[in-house]
Amino acid sequence: MILDFLEILNDYPAVLLLIIIAIATMGGGIPPILERRRRRGLENAISEVLELLSDNIGAGEGIQQGLARVAEVRNDLFGKLIGDAMQASKATSFNAAMAEMAVKSRSKQVQRVVNLILTSLEGDAPMQDVLFNMSQEYSRLNKLMNKRDTELQSSAFLIIFFVGLMLPAIIAFMIGIFAPKSSGMVVDDLNTIMAYFFGAATGISVLISGRMLGRMMSWFWYVPSFALLSMLVYILGFNLIS
Amino acid sequence: MREQEESRDLLYAIRALEIMMSSGVGLEAAILSIAGGGYGIISEDFQKMIKQQKKGKKLEIVLRDLMKKASSKGYKKLLTTMYNNVKSNTDVLKTLQMQAEAEEEERNEKMKKYIEDLGGLPESLLSIGMISPILLGLVGLAPQLMGDAGAIMGTLPSNSTMMNMVRVGLGITLLGMAFIGMKAHTKDPGV
Repeated sequence: MILDFLEILNDYPAVLLLIIIAIATMGGGIPPILERRRRRGLENAISEVLELLSDNIGAGEGIQQGLARVAEVRNDLFGKLIGDAMQASKATSFNAAMAEMAVKSRSKQVQRVVNLILTSLEGDAPMQDVLFNMSQEYSRLNKLMNKRDTELQSSAFLIIFFVGLMLPAIIAFMIGIFAPKSSGMVVDDLNTIMAYFFGAATGISVLISGRMLGRMMSWFWYVPSFALLSMLVYILGFNLIS
Repeated sequence: MREQEESRDLLYAIRALEIMMSSGVGLEAAILSIAGGGYGIISEDFQKMIKQQKKGKKLEIVLRDLMKKASSKGYKKLLTTMYNNVKSNTDVLKTLQMQAEAEEEERNEKMKKYIEDLGGLPESLLSIGMISPILLGLVGLAPQLMGDAGAIMGTLPSNSTMMNMVRVGLGITLLGMAFIGMKAHTKDPGV
């Protein structure tokens, strides 16, 4: 069975090469997913953190005291980062510790928030209002980002499913029925062209789906895997039908 | 392209300016802070503006130059507000608040439209992706399927000619698919 499978693939050297590339890139695609999950976790928490901080300041606490209280209350990554920053601020300055926290968060949103908090502090601004307004704004922004994700995810997966799986299966069925191997027709050239077409079409679909969700670069890693899957569906589908 | 980049970070830049100026920070210091980075093309523009200022140009002149360069309506409005503030000391805070609200509303609308526009994308890709290989598959098989029908059909081109036609046709299909998919990029609301 396996030997038969390899025998079929022998006619498609690009598929054999793609198997190796797909295995390698599947691993490469995991870090961006984990990093994104971490970053989005932090960004979704910004609104709550700012609101809590605003409440603490409203209760008469200073910014450092308020942040220390936030770190106590929250047992997620954001709480840990703030806790570490408060710890570091004992050895260095508050501003330096906050800047370090912003860098460690690896999130543009967190870095902007920290920058604005520090600027507002320098300007002696009414921090309770500033933080509350910022919390509302980031809550709205993150809701919109999450909406994009949830509403477009189904379309993105539908594109990959249609182009990557359904289309090669249908065409393999059609060519397998019209020109089966047993009929003696020479369809090797056509099969090779079709297989490569489906690989390329699936690659394009994966990139489009990734772009729809705003993360094309991290989906790029999965282009070889899906292209390979699509080519295999076509090749094996044709052999099965004919 | 530039318009898209400007729109992406504009709301954050306006909000940042609003917060800084409501905290008592002056316009020039706020510009310096934005130029520090984090706001994409707007930070780059502000950096250039500061460089020009250091060379001796007045802030109002540099702002006016930047207004000519700006592509998006919102960004132009922001620069005009800043220009008016420098020129006539207008109430920049209230204007910034209103601009931020308008910009936020526009962003929500863009997002709604983006989701609506991309709703039909899977079907469009499937249609072009399915019709073309079916037709071209038949074209590729034609010399063998109808090889004996020469008397009725006339002489069919050779198998290699047909295969070349299939290759070109599928290549065009791929380009078409990529072209359809481009709207996922060009209409991105930048959220």
